Amino acid sequence: MFYRQSGIYHTRYEATRRLWPIPFERWQVGVILLLVLAAPFYLSALYLQSYLLPWLIWSAATLSLTLLMGVAGQLHFGYAAVMAIGAYSAIHLVRFGLPFEFAFLGAGLIAALIGCLFGAAALRVKGLYLVMATLAMQYLVDWLIINVPAISGGAHATLQAPSARILFFSLENDLVRYYFALAWAVLLTVFLLNVKRTSFGRALVAIRDKDYAASVIGVNPFRYKLLAFFTSSFLGGMSGAVLAFCFYRAVTPEQFSFNVSTQLVAMVLVGGLGSVIGAFLGAGFVLLAPMILTNIVAMLSDFGWLNVSVNLLSHLPLMIYGALILGFLLAEPLGLAKIYDNIRNYFLVWPFKHSRR
Amino acid sequence: MRPDDLPPALPWRPHDWRKEDHLLKVLADNATHYPTQVAMRERDRGIWQEYTWREYHEHVLAFAAGLESYGVRPFEIVQIIGDNRPALYFSMVALGALRAIASPAYPDATPDEIALLAEREDVRCAIVEDQEQVDKLLQIEKERGERYRLVIYDDPRGLAGKMPERFVAFTTVLERGRERLQFEPTLAGDLQQRPSAHDVAVLLHSSGTTGVPKGVPLKHGHVLSAVRNAAQAGYFIEGEQHFAYLPMAWVGDYIFSVGAAFVLRFAVNIPERQETVMRDLREIAPTMFLSSPRAWSGMITRIQVGMSESTLLKRKLYDIFMPYATSLERRRLGGHEPSLVERLWRWLGDFLIYGPIRDQLGLARVQRAYTAGEAIGEDDFLFLRALGVPLRQFYGQTENTALCAAQAADDVKLHTVGRPFPGVEVKIADSGEILVRGDNVFDGYYDNPQASAEALEDGWLHTGDAGYFEEDGSLVVLGRLSEVAYTASGERYVATYIENRIKFSQYVKDVCVIGENRPYLTAIVCIDLEAVGHWAEEHGVAYTSYADLSQKPEVYDLVAGVIAHVNGVLPPGQRIRRFVNLHKPFDPDDGEVTRTRKLRRKVIYERYAPILEALYDPARHEIDFQATITYETGETGVIARLLRLYDVAPAQGE
Repeated sequence: MFYRQSGIYHTRYEATRRLWPIPFERWQVGVILLLVLAAPFYLSALYLQSYLLPWLIWSAATLSLTLLMGVAGQLHFGYAAVMAIGAYSAIHLVRFGLPFEFAFLGAGLIAALIGCLFGAAALRVKGLYLVMATLAMQYLVDWLIINVPAISGGAHATLQAPSARILFFSLENDLVRYYFALAWAVLLTVFLLNVKRTSFGRALVAIRDKDYAASVIGVNPFRYKLLAFFTSSFLGGMSGAVLAFCFYRAVTPEQFSFNVSTQLVAMVLVGGLGSVIGAFLGAGFVLLAPMILTNIVAMLSDFGWLNVSVNLLSHLPLMIYGALILGFLLAEPLGLAKIYDNIRNYFLVWPFKHSRR
Repeated sequence: MRPDDLPPALPWRPHDWRKEDHLLKVLADNATHYPTQVAMRERDRGIWQEYTWREYHEHVLAFAAGLESYGVRPFEIVQIIGDNRPALYFSMVALGALRAIASPAYPDATPDEIALLAEREDVRCAIVEDQEQVDKLLQIEKERGERYRLVIYDDPRGLAGKMPERFVAFTTVLERGRERLQFEPTLAGDLQQRPSAHDVAVLLHSSGTTGVPKGVPLKHGHVLSAVRNAAQAGYFIEGEQHFAYLPMAWVGDYIFSVGAAFVLRFAVNIPERQETVMRDLREIAPTMFLSSPRAWSGMITRIQVGMSESTLLKRKLYDIFMPYATSLERRRLGGHEPSLVERLWRWLGDFLIYGPIRDQLGLARVQRAYTAGEAIGEDDFLFLRALGVPLRQFYGQTENTALCAAQAADDVKLHTVGRPFPGVEVKIADSGEILVRGDNVFDGYYDNPQASAEALEDGWLHTGDAGYFEEDGSLVVLGRLSEVAYTASGERYVATYIENRIKFSQYVKDVCVIGENRPYLTAIVCIDLEAVGHWAEEHGVAYTSYADLSQKPEVYDLVAGVIAHVNGVLPPGQRIRRFVNLHKPFDPDDGEVTRTRKLRRKVIYERYAPILEALYDPARHEIDFQATITYETGETGVIARLLRLYDVAPAQGE
């Protein structure tokens, strides 16, 4: 009904590979882009700063992680540590006097180098064992940050993000922070949409599907696994820096604890492994669902429709949230992205059941 | 074919064509004025290769120059065999530049058919599509001796290896031509000057339902006149997206893909293969689409099958909106002006159902959809129009360049083929035959003066079709003249025409209309067991067998309704007054119909003579009859029934 596909023809092979060949989908993308661009003008500061902004940043982080987990198939349970490295590096580099733009890049590089170090373990171990290796990274990095005062500023210290400018705009400004985070999310989206169509992306997919089969067809697993860790950690580190400068403004080690790592994995899994739209849906779900559920439950009890003990009341949102995650994954193990895809397919072949030949 | 052998311009109708107004000139004008506009697209390995008018022109001239150096002579007939391919279209036009004559053959023609034509027309050169066609020519030569002096093939796949030197690749000829054009600067202009509007542009063949196909030479002037007449009537407009998937040997394809495409600068889109037609059609979404009633019907079946297996919500919406659109369209054709609510509801249906279906079929952009060749079923016609496909009927034959008459966009009726195009004269002879005159009518058959004389009289083409004019000037085609019969009161009727109308109903499988030398028309009806059985189940009519079902009073009423409906569009003297439901279907095993389900009237008249007598005896209302049936084993049996004779209520105004 919406997806009109007749009249789409290509005269060059390059054109057949365009991202959104269906006019309706180009419209969709355009409208969404317009909506987020104009968000500061119709959303209240509260919604913009505490819902939309973190959603964008966590989506960017999920995108970085899905490149590693979804596209290259390498499990990573210490991704919060990668982001922590990025966040702390950026802050220290800016404090050291580097312009923010370079500090931003530097944060990515440092995260990438350290990420690679642990990623090297992936060359020898797979699956659950790799999970263990990355967990080790999480705890090592956590320990280091907490116990090296030069990094954290002390065991329970909060490290303020110094004031910085991106290009000519001061990051003290709410709007600049929002648009910077938005630009970063868009950049990552475009990158991920395209990386799957490059030889690099295809090599990663080959490794994911079977690494020694990939090596048989000439994909060097050593190189590409390291590259996957490098790229993903690079982007994750930078996303950590964005998180520190645009959202938290002051960082503590707890903000990058193991909990956060599992949340990131949940975002990737609930959204759908390796999917771009899934990263946004997953991040949105994991991040916003508890908040929204808490609000709803609080509202219900305010109206007096929910007569339960205060103790249960505080746990109810979490219970519903857990049930929702279970429900979604039971209904569609491939995540929210797959649910979206099913809906899209339903309308794509409308009014038939499957495409006609 | 020397100039002298060509049918001369007939003395009673001199064509006032300007000599230089030929297809090559039109092509050259397009190349000059619209050099970068796309003239042709071919889907090749997944993407559409485009040719602009300049490239088209360049290919044609280069290929013509190449052909000449390979010894193709003026007035020589060259066979073109294959599916629609740009190279073959270029070839047809390039032959025109050399004043040689292209004679396209159907790609699925057997070697024998090709050989027969080649021998009759003394063909020594052929331009073919691929290995399949080359193999046919090789087989012909193996069986009947060497014939072809030059064979040019387009697709070299599978042709590498041992081939006679006479077999040349299209690209080789093209290259040779390009070299010549480079070294002979005057050649291009010269090629352009050679043809005349009075040259034969293409040698097509009449359909040949009776006997051998006759060669129909169409001159540049015929083609251009026909196209311009039709364009004047708004039959097609400039810059259409045209989808060339019908066989090149069919007159319609030549007229649309070459004639009209040149004059009105169509983009001619050619599918990758016959098997990918539906998919490629969707990619291109043409603005004009031409198909046969059978193909349209197949399309509808595809929709209905697809919908019947679709999911609940989609099916429910379809069940709500499709019948609504069909009934609205039926009322609209009857002159009803839709109200605002009706239009809003239709608009909603268009968004939910009709639009998406059109989109799935690739008919989303069709502004002009045509059906021709035979009558299209009423339900099919309404269904397609209800979908928003502006389907119209047109009328024409090879002999009159396929363009004679067509329905106007705003004046569509089911049983007419519309008004004649401007510049085309149509009249009805005393015998009831449709006669056509105009610049689009050919000048005589190839090498067949006798047939030419029979077909053309005073410039009037005898179409062999029977028909009449409605009061508003639209033409009704009844069928072949040879099938026209007269009742005792001298009323002229065509049995197959009436039978086809009745058979458009799904409830009637076969029907035989009787009335020759009788006072009025009657019919023997064989119901369709599946459709009527289904109907009976839904309406609570219990039955045991075909014979039992056919004699149910409810079924009689059902069939009477069908016949009364057909009677409504027939002139009073041609209406069915009485009918009988036969208690067995007509069966090829019993010899009542042929294997292709054409009636054998003689057999039916003989076998059912008592029923016929009873039908014309107003005093009788039923007849006891024993029908013989033949089993597959060859044994015969008998089914006896008391058959009711049903008087159809006279239509209003009778």
